[in-house]
Amino acid sequence: MIALVILAFSLAVIPETLSLIKKKYWRELAVFAAIYLAAFISSVLLTLGYELPSPAKGTESLIKWVFSLFT
Amino acid sequence: MLEKGKISAVQLAYVVFILITSLSVIFVPAQPAKHLAWLALLGALGEGLLFFYVCTTLAQKFPDKTLIGINDAVFGPLLGKLVSLAFLWYFIQIASYNLRAIADFFATLFPETPIVVFLLFLVLTSASAVRNGIEVIARCSVLIVPLLIFNYLFDDILLIKDMDFSSLLPLGDVPLTDFLKSVHAINSVQYGETVVLLMVYPFLSNIKKARVSVAAFIIAAALMAGSAARNTAVLGSLGPITTYTTFQTIRVINIGEFLTRLEILIAVAFIFMAFIKISVFYYASVLGLAQLLKLRTYLPLVLPSAVLITVFSIINFTSAIEAMHFTSETYPYYSLPFQIGLPLFTLVIAKVRGLPGKKKGLSP
Repeated sequence: MIALVILAFSLAVIPETLSLIKKKYWRELAVFAAIYLAAFISSVLLTLGYELPSPAKGTESLIKWVFSLFT
Repeated sequence: MLEKGKISAVQLAYVVFILITSLSVIFVPAQPAKHLAWLALLGALGEGLLFFYVCTTLAQKFPDKTLIGINDAVFGPLLGKLVSLAFLWYFIQIASYNLRAIADFFATLFPETPIVVFLLFLVLTSASAVRNGIEVIARCSVLIVPLLIFNYLFDDILLIKDMDFSSLLPLGDVPLTDFLKSVHAINSVQYGETVVLLMVYPFLSNIKKARVSVAAFIIAAALMAGSAARNTAVLGSLGPITTYTTFQTIRVINIGEFLTRLEILIAVAFIFMAFIKISVFYYASVLGLAQLLKLRTYLPLVLPSAVLITVFSIINFTSAIEAMHFTSETYPYYSLPFQIGLPLFTLVIAKVRGLPGKKKGLSP
């Protein structure tokens, strides 16, 4: 499964990167690389069975904390 | 300009219709209002129109700026960017909540299929629409809405014989606090999310006609209230405790053992609507991020953002019930600053500072 994820990411990155290099869009390439890396790492961790923190749970805790200030 | 497409006010109204009705096809967060869900839906319309008025007033004040540009102009470059980042986080989260909602729904229909299959299928379809821009998303909405309205009315007619209108009574036995809680929850999930259009208004061919979408609000509210009343009339006291109320209601349709299993129409409608809603929020996120980082194109962000939205939709909730609980209990409060707090605050600050002032080569 992990090999499939790595293969899919490797194949998907090529056309976009080539197009950005060709146009000399360096800033866009840097942002693309940063987000792509974040997406790749999180996908690999999920595939390996790691439990990533849930943003919704964080939001829930934040709302509960805000409510506790008023009660 | 990052987006070259233009859409008309009527096309925008179609998009608004889908943003409002999308989730209601399977789920309305109106459990506290019980059999008065239909009334809560109409009550939420009032709150939703107020939110919409604030957002359109803001958009008309800055007709050539998206939300990112407005935040920069009103709060200054640093604070403006922080506010914009918060909005982008909110948009990407909504895209992931909706993606998860539809994947969970289909996972109940096809329990053997891994949820990630539905997630990838939908997010990649949306990615294709986002790459093509707002014009394509708006045109898809124009194609879909008439089918949805037909679907609503067709189901209503076929269910008339199964309705027991006494289930809608009595009108006064739901505590006011529970009723108002439902009103606000419905508004936050359905009408309030039109705040995302602050990323779209600059691409409207005539911003002065943005309020044509009020018609979409009213038609959507009427159809949803009718659908909620129908669900209660058909399912009775089971209605408020059913997970996918509309879906369960449509399952009841049986015309002479010939017209049955029409719930597939609901499933198809939900796919189309969720596709548009996810695409709009996904588009707002990538366009906004590209503007925030001053990129020349948002296209390179489309694919990695699709993966991030998918990852968020997997890690946010462990089950459909948990997602629904979040939508009913936490989301109405979490969304409040984004749907009305910040837009209203921005409007007040802009008024106090006398913005936008005189035009001098503004860009979105």
